[in-house]
Amino acid sequence: MSKEALVEVKNLKTYFYTEEGVVKAVDGVDYEIYPGETLGIVGESGCGKSVTSLSIMRLVESPPGRIEAGEINFKGTDLTKLSEKEMRKIRGNDISMIFQEPMTSLNPVYTVGDQIIEAIMLHKQVKRKEARRQAIEMLQKVGIPLPEQRVDEYPHQLSGGMRQRVMIAMALSCDPQLLIADEPTTALDVTIQAQILELMNSLKESYGMAIMMITHDLGVIAEVSDRVAVMYAGKVVEYTDVDTLFDDPKHPYTWGLMNSIPKLDKDVDRLEAIPGSVPSPLNFPEGCKFNTRCPLAEGKCFDVEPPLEDTDGGHMVRCWRYEHLEEIKKRGERIYEDRGVQK
Amino acid sequence: MEWQEVLKRLLQNKISLLGILIILFFIVVAVLAPWIAPPQDPDEPYLIPRGGWSIEPQPPSEEHIFGTTEGQYDIFYGIVWGTRTAFRIGLVVVGISSTLGIIIGTVAAYYGGLIDEIIMRITDVFMSIPFIIATIVLVTILGQGITNVMIALITFSWMSTARLMRSQVLSVKEDEFVQAALALGANDFRIIFRHIILNTIFPVVIQASMRMGSMVITASTLSFLGVGAPEGYADWGQMISFARNWILGVEGDPLHYWYTLVIPGIAITLFCLSWNLIGDAFRDILDPKLN
Amino acid sequence: MISYIIRRLFILPVILFGVSLLIFSMIMMLGPYQRLSTYITDPAQLKGVDDVEQLIAKYGLDDPWYEQYGRWISGVAQGDFGWSESAGAPVTTAIANRFPATIELALLSLIPVIFGGIILGVISAVHHNKLIDHIIRIFAVIGWSFPSFVFGLLVLMIFYGVLGWLPPGRLSNWATEIVRSAEFANYTGMYILDGLLNFNFAVVLDAIRHMIAPVITISILWWAFILRITRSNMLETLKKDYIRTARAKGLADNIVVYKHAVRNALIPVVTVAGQMILGLAGGLVIVESIFNIRGLGQFMATSAQQLDYPGVLGGALYFGLLLILINLFVDVSYAVIDPRIRLE
Repeated sequence: MSKEALVEVKNLKTYFYTEEGVVKAVDGVDYEIYPGETLGIVGESGCGKSVTSLSIMRLVESPPGRIEAGEINFKGTDLTKLSEKEMRKIRGNDISMIFQEPMTSLNPVYTVGDQIIEAIMLHKQVKRKEARRQAIEMLQKVGIPLPEQRVDEYPHQLSGGMRQRVMIAMALSCDPQLLIADEPTTALDVTIQAQILELMNSLKESYGMAIMMITHDLGVIAEVSDRVAVMYAGKVVEYTDVDTLFDDPKHPYTWGLMNSIPKLDKDVDRLEAIPGSVPSPLNFPEGCKFNTRCPLAEGKCFDVEPPLEDTDGGHMVRCWRYEHLEEIKKRGERIYEDRGVQK
Repeated sequence: MEWQEVLKRLLQNKISLLGILIILFFIVVAVLAPWIAPPQDPDEPYLIPRGGWSIEPQPPSEEHIFGTTEGQYDIFYGIVWGTRTAFRIGLVVVGISSTLGIIIGTVAAYYGGLIDEIIMRITDVFMSIPFIIATIVLVTILGQGITNVMIALITFSWMSTARLMRSQVLSVKEDEFVQAALALGANDFRIIFRHIILNTIFPVVIQASMRMGSMVITASTLSFLGVGAPEGYADWGQMISFARNWILGVEGDPLHYWYTLVIPGIAITLFCLSWNLIGDAFRDILDPKLN
Repeated sequence: MISYIIRRLFILPVILFGVSLLIFSMIMMLGPYQRLSTYITDPAQLKGVDDVEQLIAKYGLDDPWYEQYGRWISGVAQGDFGWSESAGAPVTTAIANRFPATIELALLSLIPVIFGGIILGVISAVHHNKLIDHIIRIFAVIGWSFPSFVFGLLVLMIFYGVLGWLPPGRLSNWATEIVRSAEFANYTGMYILDGLLNFNFAVVLDAIRHMIAPVITISILWWAFILRITRSNMLETLKKDYIRTARAKGLADNIVVYKHAVRNALIPVVTVAGQMILGLAGGLVIVESIFNIRGLGQFMATSAQQLDYPGVLGGALYFGLLLILINLFVDVSYAVIDPRIRLE
């Protein structure tokens, strides 16, 4: 893409200073988001994907959290350098965010209308009456039936899917250029999930905004993303466009994630699983952080952390042995054990 | 959380450590009372010896190191033996009323339905009359005396434990391990005691430690109002009621009789403070919402 | 909300019946001679009676308990609580005379309790584990541990004995004369309010001056109680997802705290308001005794000291009824704050 990046994250490090020690939740992450595209960020829980998004919003709870180093350039301004007051003008206005738990993300004692109107009046110079009109319009756009009525209802009167629509309406009410969606469909029923993703795709088209989609679900990534960053233990391990990633995953972790989900179009009778779990951030291994679970790890992998390298035409991979994986793939072999015998 | 861990944290926390040290001090005083302040009549150690019949309190002197109150009751003796009274009232009342509350609350929650409804309405009734007022009424009817004070305090203080226990049991009842035990065919009694009580006891213990202080305050209040301990009985509240007529001092020296109020006041306040410090720390340690 | 209120109203008579039974069972613990006093509404009734047995028979004090309960409760329903020896008047009259002083003191005490407790609780939670939080908490635990009667006597010793600022009683002598005079209209019996209604601001100021010490004494404990509950609820609320949503909207911290968090944190505080009001009512007994305020609490205390059974029992029943009604009000206001209950 030749366009100017909307967001450019460079070497971002966000650490948490806890009693047990320093948790390097995000430890040197780089990526860009271009106007109008959807960047997917995928990884298991605890890999730092939510913390990167909260860092962009500067909503990391402090203490214990702190942005330790790096830049977050949003349209040329480094967000890490802004004062809290300047940052408030950006939150909810240029960049907004929706969260995983629609059931608890809305304030139970205010009507949904009040909560949307509050955001509109905060960032736009409009009277309450006009803000209310806009709020109803937003509710209509996100597909809420009878918006004139729903606007005066309280969150507990709405279903989970409806609440997530309200969250989206609130997030989009000030025409943001970037919408950060942190696991927006995880807490919802499968049918509702598809509706919400479809809604987000269509709104992206009509608003021309960029979306940062954070999820652990590769299905969601395939559905909405243009490009994908795979995260593991606070770092990006693979970074490319969505088609390339699914056709030709180069990092053993990505490969493992992909083969652990059943596919409808392929006749696979066995699924692979990555053994073990993400290492504790207090106790990361030396060398490549994936070496505790990687079947290909040897020698160098245990001593030196690999850099994020461009393998061919923008397909970035953080692995010493990705070429070895290529050969295995060509031979059609598996690298992980069957899910059934996972310990 | 294991109780060893809780204890370790209580001892590490400076505030609760202070509370524990104050209580240990009071325990030492209570245990050593016969040696610190030897009673004149060993059969009636709780009667404060009188240094005369004059009404005017006398300031601290060699003979009476904390001075004497109205009617020449020795303040030092009253404080020392009053410590025993305080522990006796606190332990007996909190012990019995908590046990009652645990049983009532558990029964209500475990059986539910009509039994629960009736028990909870009875609890509401007992809670409708302010605690101090209810105890005043009952002591007035039963007559003065420490035993009657304790009966009155127990009668009107089991409800909060019962309510707490009920809500605890209701939440634990749904837990998987209880469901599993039920599925395995464990009988009612064993389920209640083995699983539920052991898993709900901490909040009850916190509440009990907080109540130690307030029960002693209420008992003292009854004595202060003249309906609790009989005259001359070693009780902090009564010591303070003796101070009541003298707090304005004499012409030109308003603090002339300060010792009659301040010394017993410090004793009772420190006693309650130490229990509350422990209770507070306890709650902070065990409250998962705050961690 | 209507069904919620109806449910509350439905329980009300059950509780009232329960409380009356509780009080009555305490009456029944007395012997017939002592109980007799609860049936005498005027010493004139005793004139010309030589034989007490006759009276016991007349009032049916040897009848089965349910018959006695029936007679007693129908008397109570007509406002007949017996004759109070300590007040030298029927219990109902004694209570009516003392009621305004108590209400005045109770209402004034709510001001520091609610505002002081809630505001400091919020500040303490917002500055969790910082210096100001520690200071507030230390004051709270000390306030909570101070027995009211010790604290009240200390206040009296220092602010009246030493400094002469805050005298006991309800009014100074000169103000009492004004209040008793024909020109001064006693609308409510609450001197601060009556003073305002009579445009007599000297009386208002004098009444306020007399109320400061008792209000501080009674509120010190409950101020700490509300503070602790507000603080822990606030800490919990500040961790909620909707607080993060509010911040993500770009709201300033103080709006997030005071608009989005406080209202949610106050909902559980309202549930303990009933408990607090009960405690405040109990505290009135002590504070009115110490500061010589002729209110219901002092009436309870003197009746108890003089073994005036009708006075004690009538006072307790009266407090019980009053508090049941207040709790009903608290429950309804709970529904108003929390839409989840209102719209049930």
